[in-house]
Amino acid sequence: MTEPGHEPLDVALGRAWIEVAAQLWRRRPGPVERVAARLLRSPGLARALVATPSLLLGWVLATAVVLTVGMLATRETGTPYVALFAPAVAAVGIAYAYGPGVDDAWELTCSMAVSDRMVLLVRALAVFGLNAVLGLAAAAASGVAMAVTFGWLIPMTAVCALALATATFARSALVGSAAGVAGWVITVLAGQAAAGRPTTVVTESALIVPYLAVAAGATAIAVYWTRVPKGTA
Amino acid sequence: MNIDITDVTRRFGRTRAVAGVTMSAGPGVLGLLGPNGAGKTSLLRMLATVIPPTSGRIRLLERDPGVAAQRRAIRRRLGYVPQHLGYYPSFTVVEFVEYFALLKEVPAAQVPRAVATAVERVGLGDKARARMRTLSGGMLRRAGIAQAIVNDPELLLLDEPTAGLDPEQRVAFRGLLRDLGQTATVVVSTHLVEDVGAACAQVALMDGGRIVFHGTPQELTARGEGRTAAGDAPLERGYSTVLAEARS
Repeated sequence: MTEPGHEPLDVALGRAWIEVAAQLWRRRPGPVERVAARLLRSPGLARALVATPSLLLGWVLATAVVLTVGMLATRETGTPYVALFAPAVAAVGIAYAYGPGVDDAWELTCSMAVSDRMVLLVRALAVFGLNAVLGLAAAAASGVAMAVTFGWLIPMTAVCALALATATFARSALVGSAAGVAGWVITVLAGQAAAGRPTTVVTESALIVPYLAVAAGATAIAVYWTRVPKGTA
Repeated sequence: MNIDITDVTRRFGRTRAVAGVTMSAGPGVLGLLGPNGAGKTSLLRMLATVIPPTSGRIRLLERDPGVAAQRRAIRRRLGYVPQHLGYYPSFTVVEFVEYFALLKEVPAAQVPRAVATAVERVGLGDKARARMRTLSGGMLRRAGIAQAIVNDPELLLLDEPTAGLDPEQRVAFRGLLRDLGQTATVVVSTHLVEDVGAACAQVALMDGGRIVFHGTPQELTARGEGRTAAGDAPLERGYSTVLAEARS
């Protein structure tokens, strides 16, 4: 054995370089990642959160643009377009938060100690939360009635859960987002056909229970499809 | 045994990709050979805990991957390079390796040193701050290997790791494999019979979802002696002989 301090020069230099490189290459997490790491109590989960495809700057800007257009249209026409846009926009974001074909490192993530289901959960919550905040700001700025400003949050939850359940079942973000958007469009058209105005789907309080039922059912499906079966040993 | 699997099958719809595989392996390098569609990748994905088996029993590092807490413990000590390495193009090499160190729950204080060691070990030190999208195919494979070894794994699973490496890099990689195999169980899936001959103490040959040979490279070579099976090298002739016998 080589005693400490008496190792060959190249080995000693190698060790020294590793220490230098570790400091030189060390990455300083940004403020969002630092806060997330504290809240989630997991630096890995926080890192996975900031790598969410549908939380990248381009996606966030696109979401903001859609909701800004909705806000301007709402102010001009009095029709609550923000309330009609927001659930579909959020559903697409949720479907593109995680999964094969969307997350470049998905296969590797599935073999990591930080569970892929936890990664999915925090990413879905983050995308939902961001869309809810942007949607609320746009709805409030559009000046429509308070009931409508908040009324779309529950349908948005249902539509997002539907998109998430379909994306995890089909293992396709495109299919998931299509299901979410299609589900919401059908709901709006049904509202138009039944009451003569599409906005009934965000103002009718009797719909809250069905929305919550859809959200609960779809969430259960997503949980089921992201499980790892027992009995492998 | 770091790998202990019994009668494991895996189906994808009507297709049986893995058909009743039983094997065990301790520390050392095990080469997994076989033609396309033999079931090598499906077997590696099960060993990597990415997909569960349809039936059979798997124990890894003396633990049951079907139990969440034990699966997490396995994954902390696991390294995996999939056939198609996914990566975030805007990440640098160091960020890429660090990302997986964090997801493997390497203690935060140890991450910078572990990352630097892994990056240097695969010879990517001069590209440490290069974006992943700027790397060549061989460099990407090496970055993939770096993330796999960043947690100093006890079980390392490599699916076609030498694809895209030039001859010099492949020679260096074989040295790395032998080094890692001193303490860890390393399973290397490959088409390249010469990689197995140079770096593996054990070889398993798969065909049609089954393991049709398990032994040393010398034993596989011996199976081809005196035969007229296809192959430019003795090991290749052994490979061809065993495959022909399994299919007859």
